[in-house]
Amino acid sequence: MNTTMVWAGMAIFFVFSFLTAMLSRQGKASSMDAYFLGNRKLNGFVSALSYSSTTYSAFMMVGLAGLTYTGGVGAFGFEIVYFIGVTLILIFGPRFWLVGKKFGYITPSEMIGDRYQSKLSASVISLVSCLFLIPYSAVQLTGVGYLLSGITNQAIPFMAGVVIATFVAILFSLIAGIRSVVWTDSLQALVMIVSSTVVVLLVVSKLGGFGAFFQDLQSNHPEKLSVPGNGYFNIYTFINLTVPWFFFSISNPQVSQRLFMPSSKKAMRQMLLGFLIFGFIYTLVSVMWGYSALIKFPNLEKPDLATPMLLSSDLVPSVLGLIVMIGILAAAISTIDSILLTLSSLFSRDIYGYMKKDTDDRQQLRVGKIVIPIIAVLAFVFATLELDLIAVLSVASSAGLIVSVPSIIGAFFWKRGTSAGTTASVIVGAAVVLFMQFTGIAPLKFGAGVWGLTVSAVVFIVVSLFTEPPKEKAHAFMDELREKLREKS
Amino acid sequence: MKRSKLIGGSLIAILIVLAYVMPYTVFSDVNAWYGSFLWWSLTALAVITITFFMTRDWSR
Repeated sequence: MNTTMVWAGMAIFFVFSFLTAMLSRQGKASSMDAYFLGNRKLNGFVSALSYSSTTYSAFMMVGLAGLTYTGGVGAFGFEIVYFIGVTLILIFGPRFWLVGKKFGYITPSEMIGDRYQSKLSASVISLVSCLFLIPYSAVQLTGVGYLLSGITNQAIPFMAGVVIATFVAILFSLIAGIRSVVWTDSLQALVMIVSSTVVVLLVVSKLGGFGAFFQDLQSNHPEKLSVPGNGYFNIYTFINLTVPWFFFSISNPQVSQRLFMPSSKKAMRQMLLGFLIFGFIYTLVSVMWGYSALIKFPNLEKPDLATPMLLSSDLVPSVLGLIVMIGILAAAISTIDSILLTLSSLFSRDIYGYMKKDTDDRQQLRVGKIVIPIIAVLAFVFATLELDLIAVLSVASSAGLIVSVPSIIGAFFWKRGTSAGTTASVIVGAAVVLFMQFTGIAPLKFGAGVWGLTVSAVVFIVVSLFTEPPKEKAHAFMDELREKLREKS
Repeated sequence: MKRSKLIGGSLIAILIVLAYVMPYTVFSDVNAWYGSFLWWSLTALAVITITFFMTRDWSR
């Protein structure tokens, strides 16, 4: 693709995003609540778009397309199971929202820490989140680097792409905190969904329309339309991939923190339904994109090349290719800036707030703002190192974050849960996940996510049974909350 | 728990189980769009519909 065109396209996109970010700066955001949660006053529309673009990263149009190319329809099933997992918000959404408002929680780990009456638990969960999410952000940055260099035939060097993505993510997070993030996210979500849908419809029609498209797959790649198909998606692989992602909506703080932000339950409903519609379309589009590459270029050595090959093929007009590339860029940046902001709130609230006693809201906010570029630079350094370690941690991210799920469920549904149980389950669970990822062992063919969840659940229950639970907070999180939920409905 | 919530929740639970079972049994030899691809698409649409009905009282 023409390099000047790529620069021009990116410049236009960044100018529009920057203006959007600046426009979002209405009024002062001088408290943690305002800066990180938008004063809990987000409307349903931006919440839905921002939730969508935060969840869906560059993985979809590159990684999921590649996974479809390699393993066929199982990739679609994997995303659909994740998609069903979002309905956990039906149970946890109103609960997070109500206790968040009542007790003024800024972060999900602060909520867990307070529920079990232990700031140590909050700090441990926050540290584990940083451990897995910084490498995950680094991989998004490398994705941008590879995309830009690949599409321009190395005219834009890998490093330039990584620097640009880091800089833009810092900018969007810092301009107005969550307000600039949700508004730029919303713009980026629209670019992502419109560009990818248009290009896939065009490619499918150029390949003969839906009938001929599936006929071609049936005749030439029949094994890509069923599971286990060519064996890639055997049932163990499918379970190992889907279990950690099923819990994504409550285990990943950059999305579960969003449950504190809607202005009302009505706005939360719009967020959930809007996301489900967006997610269904974007998943279908990404899978069809992978299938298109399979039909057009059946013998690629690396499946990750599917997207750059299709974008520079004669099936996609170059202007449209450019817009799709910007859509992928948008997907990566909207994920990174949200993670940056969430990690900075976790650090300032739960780690700094724990280590330095008696800090007030203003001090924490100041630290949070300083930490944003530091976390971004850390991710940047990881991205440039291109270490295997980073790749392992990134792959492990969904499996690693799952270890907090037992304590989150316990917070609302088990009065016997204790802080010792929470801290032990998160530490032991994360250690199991890391050990399994590094050694590559998989007892009974089950992967790190499945074992991470099982071990952390067992440790949480056993340790809790031997320690004293906090009765008052358990009452507030369960009995009082249930009353409140009953009143509302 | 309200009856409608119980029904909606049970339906989602059944859909989760079937999202694993059906493609790996009934549709494992159906190499066409009307096999697993259609099943998972319909599952997603059913999830959206159930969520729509289960959250109707969130508007009030």
